[in-house]
Amino acid sequence: MIDRRLFLHMNWWLLGLTAMLFCFGALNLYSASTLRAEDGLILDVYFNRQMIWGGISLAAMLGFMLVDYRHFKSAGPVFYGLAVFLLVCVAVFGKTISGSTRWLDLGLFNFQPTELAKIAVLVVGARMVSGVPERLGLWNLCKIVAMGFVPAALIAKQPDLGSALSIMLILAGIILYKGLTSTLFRVLAVLIPGVLPFGWFFLYDYQKQRILTFLDPNSDPLGAGYHVIQSQIAIGSGGFWGKGFMQGSQSQLRFLPEKHTDFAFAVFGEEWGLVGSVVLLSLFSAFLYQMYAVALEAKDEFGSCLAVGVFFYFFWQILINMGMTLGIMPVVGIPLPFISYGGSASVVNFCMIGMVLNVGMRRFVFKKN
Amino acid sequence: MGALDSPQRPAILCGPTLLLVLIVLLFSTFSIRLWYLQVYRYDFFAGRSQDNRTRQTTMFSPRGIIWDRNGVLLAENVPAYALALVREECPDIPRTLDQIALWTGLPRADLQKAFDLGKKRVKHFDEQVIVPNISFDLVATVEVHHQEWPGLVIVVRPKRYYAHGTELAHILGYVARANEAELHNDPTLQLGDDVGKQGLEVVLEQRLRGDKGLEEFEVDALGRVLASRVVSPPVAGEDFSLSVSLPLQQAAINALDNRAGAIVVMDADSGEILAQVSLPSYDPNEFVVGISQANWDALQDNELHPLQNRPVQSAYPPGSVFKLLIAGLALEKGLVSPTTSVYCTGKYTLGQREFRCWKRGGHGKVDLLKSLRESCDVYYYAAGERLGVDAIHDYALQCGFGEKTGLELPHERSGNIPSSAWKLKRFGERWQKGETLNFSIGQGHTLTTPLQIARFVGALVNDGHLLRPTLLRTTTPEIVGSLPMSAQTRKLILDAMVATVEEDQGTARLIRRPGVRVGGKTGTAQVVKLMEQYEKKKTHEIPYRFRDHAWLASFAEKDGRHYVVVVMIEHGGHGGADAGPVAGAVYDAIFNGQPGL
Repeated sequence: MIDRRLFLHMNWWLLGLTAMLFCFGALNLYSASTLRAEDGLILDVYFNRQMIWGGISLAAMLGFMLVDYRHFKSAGPVFYGLAVFLLVCVAVFGKTISGSTRWLDLGLFNFQPTELAKIAVLVVGARMVSGVPERLGLWNLCKIVAMGFVPAALIAKQPDLGSALSIMLILAGIILYKGLTSTLFRVLAVLIPGVLPFGWFFLYDYQKQRILTFLDPNSDPLGAGYHVIQSQIAIGSGGFWGKGFMQGSQSQLRFLPEKHTDFAFAVFGEEWGLVGSVVLLSLFSAFLYQMYAVALEAKDEFGSCLAVGVFFYFFWQILINMGMTLGIMPVVGIPLPFISYGGSASVVNFCMIGMVLNVGMRRFVFKKN
Repeated sequence: MGALDSPQRPAILCGPTLLLVLIVLLFSTFSIRLWYLQVYRYDFFAGRSQDNRTRQTTMFSPRGIIWDRNGVLLAENVPAYALALVREECPDIPRTLDQIALWTGLPRADLQKAFDLGKKRVKHFDEQVIVPNISFDLVATVEVHHQEWPGLVIVVRPKRYYAHGTELAHILGYVARANEAELHNDPTLQLGDDVGKQGLEVVLEQRLRGDKGLEEFEVDALGRVLASRVVSPPVAGEDFSLSVSLPLQQAAINALDNRAGAIVVMDADSGEILAQVSLPSYDPNEFVVGISQANWDALQDNELHPLQNRPVQSAYPPGSVFKLLIAGLALEKGLVSPTTSVYCTGKYTLGQREFRCWKRGGHGKVDLLKSLRESCDVYYYAAGERLGVDAIHDYALQCGFGEKTGLELPHERSGNIPSSAWKLKRFGERWQKGETLNFSIGQGHTLTTPLQIARFVGALVNDGHLLRPTLLRTTTPEIVGSLPMSAQTRKLILDAMVATVEEDQGTARLIRRPGVRVGGKTGTAQVVKLMEQYEKKKTHEIPYRFRDHAWLASFAEKDGRHYVVVVMIEHGGHGGADAGPVAGAVYDAIFNGQPGL
């Protein structure tokens, strides 16, 4: 199963970019998790934890690389079933942390089935899409959406709108990539924007508040608008060259909330300025480009769809998170890959990359056979 | 070739191109946005960032201290504890206010009002005083529960304290919380500041207050101070020494013995007020901590008006005291000489009307000295009729009546000196000759403040200088005019005043003090035209509000210093019998006590 030649075909670019992004994230976290106290600097626990999670993530990534991705195709539905089962368990026995029920207490560690669901939906989605010879018609579309909707609804109920949204968005990405029949595309192009506003009535109050705040952050500068305003102050005051590593007053003096998680990019933007931010943005762009390249070269459609799914998995997160910190998207609790602190998110990120590397390095396997 | 290169390439955007387009869009959108925030609007955001990290705090300047003329503390600053709220740190403000209501027993609605008022003026990270002046017990309670109520803080601020509050209430006045209008008019005031509301505290406000300082802090988002520097140091307010002597003030209060009235003790040569009593009084400290509605209502409803500062804010008919002025004018005009005499039969006839002398049987032959000594009305009816209302009016104005003396106290009244023009304007009627007779004995529309009387008597003894009286220690009197009397006229009047005290027929004989040259003039001013049924009655048998005002205007001279003592007892009965002993007691305090003059 493991062929040393496989490594010759590995997408070293993608691996290298991932490593660089991880380093950027670690560096930023070091700054963001520092507390400035009267008697000097105290390093918070986040940095060390993230390093440990990095190690775990690396192992997980290797795992996802080594198993031939074609096995995912058959294993996908099993994982999907498991994920849905666990999500139901969470709904019934879950552990509540800060208002949301997302965790299963497995004794040794808290497990978040949401992360498993993301991978499972992606794999099953890729499998379903790749089995269709033509562009997607209404029936196939409905099947795929329904497949994603079940776990997404369970996750949204927790409530974790961010994750539910990413699951649906991954599928949307894969679907768009595959293409819809022209009639269906046109109907949906009219229907979706028409129906979307009614989604307002299904939102929680805090979610409505976020959207209103996005439209006018200054309506409540110390409440709901505080994050957005402080984030823009942080980034804007960074200027062209930035305030320098660990010199950002917005983050170091704690004006910036959630600076090591959702708003980590604001810390980066403040300390590294336009120069650093554009470099980071370029890395992300190159990173996404490599996934595009893998999708293009994959030997089978399932592999392509996997890579495309992962592409969208990252694309949406970057778009939503950076858009939020830059004040051009509403506040949604979605982290920025590699930059935001988060253990299970890191593991999932690396697993996803492992899958893409897996697809990439096996692109010649069929020829050999 | 990739497996996805399906035979029919989609016309609508999908497939690998979609991914490339998305990458380009992502990169360009965010680059532009980054450039907008970090370059185009850099100045704005850099400023906001700087504002975030620096905070400015007011450094309080101590309000000026006020002493009496011998250095006894009258108004000082003591620390007071206030309960304040930092909104930013308080997770549940309504619940916290509930708790404060529970602790203090104050109505919840009042706390809400205080909170709402301050919300507009105090920044969310600053201490907003909710309950000023809390007890020490409450301070301890709050400190114990400090951890459970984040955002609740005890602040220590200086509070004004008047050690002899009630005795000097009308002089010192008081400070109290600045109200909405004061905050609006004076931008240097902050919510929770005290400002002078009455007395010297309000008149000297700008000098007493000093200048606040400014301190700048570098803080983190939790408001923890990382560094600080003083931008401008606070400047303490000016201290003041009053001319008033506390022991003399206390003696004068005791002499008045809880009757409503006024006493002015003045140094005739410097214009310094040595004591100034107005009874009844009130406790200014109640206003500093916020007077309760019940106590405020009690002050307002009190028929004797404790808040009224009688020596300057109340004007009364001067009664016979006014005869000093008429005598002066008659002498100056040459109408009378010391030897001219009038025969008093107990009544004076003008047309069909009879004007009676207070002494029914008449004084017989009355010359100037006797007219003042025994306060003969008929003598002054005759003089007044010949002088005429407008001449008396003009002369009274030159003697400092009908205008404010300019003492450093608010709401001073100018009193009233009638004239024919005034009558016409005020009532649309012509002046009647009979009114001139009443005017001549200080009745009718004539109104003077006790302080005006004191200044007039002071001018008689200090070589004719009308001074601006002052409550502040001074060595250089401020002369605002001169008495329109020759030295000879003044001497004649002063001699008559001394005779009033020293001779046994004198109406002011009760203030005679051995070894001191004392002169005086009594006055018994009718409030209403006495009704027949009360005519023969003793003072205490007449209802309070119909009783006469008792006046005594006097001076004393010892060791080259001249003192003026004016006593006015509202509805106090007779000048000599009732006001006399009070003035006598004041002289005892001056000459035999320890007044520290």
